[in-house]
Amino acid sequence: MKKQKLDLTRWAPPGLNLKPEIKFFAAGLVLAVLYSFLFFERYLSARADLYIYSYSSSTRVLLPDAVMPDFYILLEHYWAGLAVLAVCMLALIIYHYVYHRQDSKSIYLMRRLPSRWELHRRCLTLPLIAILICLLTAIILLLLFYGTYNVFTPKECLMPH
Amino acid sequence: MIEIRNVSKSYAGKKALTGINLTLPQGEIVGLFGENGAGKTTLIKCILGLLPYSGEITLSGEPITRKNIERLSFATSEHSFFPNLTPQVHREFYKEHFPNFIDKRFKGLMDFFELPMRKPLRAFSTGQKNQFEVILSLCQGADYILMDEPFAGNDVFNREDFYKVLLGILEPNETVLLSTHLIEEVSGFIGRAVLIRQGRIVGDSSTMELEESGRNLMDYVKQTYHYRGDRVGNALNEIRGEEGQI
Repeated sequence: MKKQKLDLTRWAPPGLNLKPEIKFFAAGLVLAVLYSFLFFERYLSARADLYIYSYSSSTRVLLPDAVMPDFYILLEHYWAGLAVLAVCMLALIIYHYVYHRQDSKSIYLMRRLPSRWELHRRCLTLPLIAILICLLTAIILLLLFYGTYNVFTPKECLMPH
Repeated sequence: MIEIRNVSKSYAGKKALTGINLTLPQGEIVGLFGENGAGKTTLIKCILGLLPYSGEITLSGEPITRKNIERLSFATSEHSFFPNLTPQVHREFYKEHFPNFIDKRFKGLMDFFELPMRKPLRAFSTGQKNQFEVILSLCQGADYILMDEPFAGNDVFNREDFYKVLLGILEPNETVLLSTHLIEEVSGFIGRAVLIRQGRIVGDSSTMELEESGRNLMDYVKQTYHYRGDRVGNALNEIRGEEGQI
């Protein structure tokens, strides 16, 4: 576990405390995913509208000609939280560069290293990985929502495309 | 050899360096003197490629690029280390990036100046930070060690120790370019004095030449700068005179 942590610091600006950044990202990711789960609320509400409750038989009856709203309408901006998080990661890139000018001018050392990419590698890698995670999460959520929409919506109510 | 040919640099249209021509052969200890804003720091940063400039700076006939940059090290009063890291981690970082890092020298200097190896640099005093900055520049394994006011904030005893250590540990191929205001202090330690004023080289003389001409470094600097020793006295007399009239 400790070794893994050390490896991670090799991809960050030297001496930067990564814990707050990781915590921020993890919390942001959880909130962004929770926000995207509002899809289920919209979906369940739209799905409930397909039915009418029969008090006589105490059952739900599918309305004739009921049509489920289009998947993309229900999706809305499910990705908004993830997009905000990705923008924060872009801001983190700027912070990583600025970090080398805080308290000392370690930028002088980084800029005269024989390895041209060392500074950029340490400033860019982790935020870019975080942005990639946001992107992958958005794709996974999209597939999850699409699967839910197709599996749980009565076939006759799906909009013909 | 570092050769600086016709180097000029401007900040927002204001000339910081104008047509600088200078040669730094290997094995010299060169003092770079000038008043605040004369262009000392700018010149050093241009040599290191930290600032864009016009003209040409070469190292052994080659432009200074990532391929030969490890032959230059830098110590600055602004500090170029990572404050959150310990000297031990810096040592590992330097070893990784500078294959010629002189570990034995690093250990020896850390011990001599009694600097803790496992304490973050942010917890060091200003003097200790300066010492560490200079130690790193001396241990990188560079042929040219550029120092920009490295002892600002160190006490006189500490500086004295450093000059002695420098003279003792430098190899014949190592060159030091030392920018400082402490002219008298370094006079016995440098072999050559370069004077810069308003972005131009206005003096360049070896200490041996100065000795032969019967002048000391301070006289040379004052003479080159057209320093008027009576200026303060005259100003004080004027002030006193005005006070008297009131």
